[in-house]
Amino acid sequence: MDCIFFASIIGDTAKQFGVDWPHFISQVISFGIVAFLLHRFAYKPVLKVLEERRQRIAEGLANAERIKAELAKTEAARQEALNQANAQANRLIEEARAAAERFREQKNQETIAQVNQLIAKAKEANEAELARMKSELRREMVRLVAETTAKVTGKILTVEDHRRLAEETNRELAA
Amino acid sequence: MSLMKSIVAGWLLLAAAGALQGADAGHAAVAPVSGQSEHAEHHALTPDAVEVGNFLGLRITNSMIVTWCVAAVMIVFAQMATRKMREVPEGAQNFWEWLVESLHEFLEGIIGSELVKKTFWFFASIFIFILFCNWLSLIPGVGTIGWGVPTDTGVQVQQPLLRGANADLNMTLAMAMVFFVCWTIWALQVNGPGGFILHLFGPKGETTGALKLLMILVFIAVGVLEVVSILFRPVSLSFRLYGNIFAGENMLEAMASLIQEPAWLKYAAGVVIPIPFYFLEVLVGIVQALVFMLLTSVFTLLICTHEEGHEEGHH
Repeated sequence: MDCIFFASIIGDTAKQFGVDWPHFISQVISFGIVAFLLHRFAYKPVLKVLEERRQRIAEGLANAERIKAELAKTEAARQEALNQANAQANRLIEEARAAAERFREQKNQETIAQVNQLIAKAKEANEAELARMKSELRREMVRLVAETTAKVTGKILTVEDHRRLAEETNRELAA
Repeated sequence: MSLMKSIVAGWLLLAAAGALQGADAGHAAVAPVSGQSEHAEHHALTPDAVEVGNFLGLRITNSMIVTWCVAAVMIVFAQMATRKMREVPEGAQNFWEWLVESLHEFLEGIIGSELVKKTFWFFASIFIFILFCNWLSLIPGVGTIGWGVPTDTGVQVQQPLLRGANADLNMTLAMAMVFFVCWTIWALQVNGPGGFILHLFGPKGETTGALKLLMILVFIAVGVLEVVSILFRPVSLSFRLYGNIFAGENMLEAMASLIQEPAWLKYAAGVVIPIPFYFLEVLVGIVQALVFMLLTSVFTLLICTHEEGHEEGHH
């Protein structure tokens, strides 16, 4: 009885709102076709493209991270190499400076030695010249003394006189 | 931003044009229908869709025409948007991608990534189809072009050529029943027949002894109520959508014909008064599409979600 009552209510309501099987089934089919076509031709390609794009973005980000890490690694290696180069350069500079210092010192010593040698040579030359000049002077003095003596005394000096005068002059000069 | 401006401008134009069509509601065109002059004073939309033709024995109603038009527009647009997919989307593809991606993310947030893979086609179609139906039904001409009878104040349309697709209970009930069938299939796929029954009638919580026996009886009774609730879901879903859209169309028509005298004020009022209500109907259109999709997705989530106790039992 209740079932008949409910069925009657449902039937009346359906009739009032124009619900009937042909139209209901028609609308079900219409919606089904729309949903199927959208699913097949609109959602699938778009979701596939979105998924591919998402994967590409993820790959791109991963690549960017990897490149960043590699860049950091390269930067560290570069910095390390730079530090080593700096250290080596500093060491080389220090060594060059030390070598230059040694070279300068050596050259100084050599120069000093050469100068001393030159001075010694100059001294020797001076002494030789002095000796030569003294000898010439002595000879000249002997000649002058002999000549003066000859002129003053008015006699011709003998070899013996010359020898004696020369000895006396030499003795005087040496004193 | 420019897209949003375009949409707002478009809907402003639509609202204004709709107001104009409302003003002309009594004068729309048309061939009088014999034998219907006794209904000439009846302004409101009829609860059922009106038959406007016959094709191979199937009576074609005005709401079916709108349904097919919307379906055709959607399919053509989707086909256009996805025909030549490009790496860098533009135009229709950009809009369609935005729509599909937004819906996918939204649904994924509600029902989870696994369930959304299986059910996205249905919820997205429901939302887009209802939204298109609701908004396209606001275009001037829907409900005002058709067959009518001459009256003192103009021609009164009795058989409109077009009617909002969701202002027909057949359409909303069809979607609700399709959901009901899909829901049952998904529930059985996820839970299995035994799990499905257990999900409905099985006791929840950890109890032992006599209390467990009592809980079993209580949950069997709760399960019966749950079954009744589930059986009534198609009714509530279909009547909610139908009621909102049907009431909205009636309200627009009532607002357009609110003032009948004098004649000059009738036209001015017919233009101005419905404008805010057109904006309201634009809002109602999207809200109802959202509500239908949300409710169906939450119903699906509820039946496809395992409780911890049950999950242990399944494993």
